[in-house]
Amino acid sequence: MKDTITSSFILLLTLTLLAAFAASNVSPEIIVTTVVALAFIKFWLVAFQFMELKKAHPFWKYLIIGFGGLMGLILVILL
Amino acid sequence: MNNTKSIYYPPGGILIWIIIYLELITFGMAILAFAYYGSEERELFHNSSLKLKKTIGTINTILLLTSGFFVAKGIHFFKASNIKKTLSYFNWAMVGGFVFLVLKSIEYYEKLEAGLHMDYNSFFRFYWLLTGFHFIHVIVGLVILIIITFSIRKKQTEASFEDIEASASFWHMCDLIWLLLFPVLYLLF
Repeated sequence: MKDTITSSFILLLTLTLLAAFAASNVSPEIIVTTVVALAFIKFWLVAFQFMELKKAHPFWKYLIIGFGGLMGLILVILL
Repeated sequence: MNNTKSIYYPPGGILIWIIIYLELITFGMAILAFAYYGSEERELFHNSSLKLKKTIGTINTILLLTSGFFVAKGIHFFKASNIKKTLSYFNWAMVGGFVFLVLKSIEYYEKLEAGLHMDYNSFFRFYWLLTGFHFIHVIVGLVILIIITFSIRKKQTEASFEDIEASASFWHMCDLIWLLLFPVLYLLF
């Protein structure tokens, strides 16, 4: 069985460092979209891999993706 | 063990997931309010955000993610009935959570010393409220982890798999909230 927990963790660390780097180096026009997109991927990874929502009923999956997506969308629109 | 594919039995049980969604909605609304005020007072929020240390925010994110990883591994080994490894991973998770609290306390101390208290401006009012409530959640999560670890160590039968999974879900919820707070407070302005 593949160790998806460990690979998700490595991806999460990479995305965190990438977001911190992007915040200082990416052009202001795309900084919000980039950082929010990275945060959404991390949010999804924690919910689906660490909290094992990948094994849950689709209702719970759509609810968390819907929440994360809506938050990201509103943040991009506002900022 | 319940069938997690059923709508009534998400991993950890339906009650913890109702709590998780309520918490996410509450924090989510506060974060959106913060972003709204930030869009109205961009310069003030930008200058205030510069007073926060991105490095500390990034290290804190890594600490919480690492702690969450240890809890996830602990659950994995609990399912495999490997209690020794479960306890070891849970102990490391608690260390990660504790170090997070220490680092956050140092950051709070620095901010207070610099006069950046809650009444300083609207950015710091949100900063203290959002991170303060999150700080309390991490303390509660840590207490739950300590209780559940003692329970596993003593081999108490009343701590069911669902109880342990629910405790882990609460801990991961602290990760989820921080993953929303970190970019908004430290990176976006």
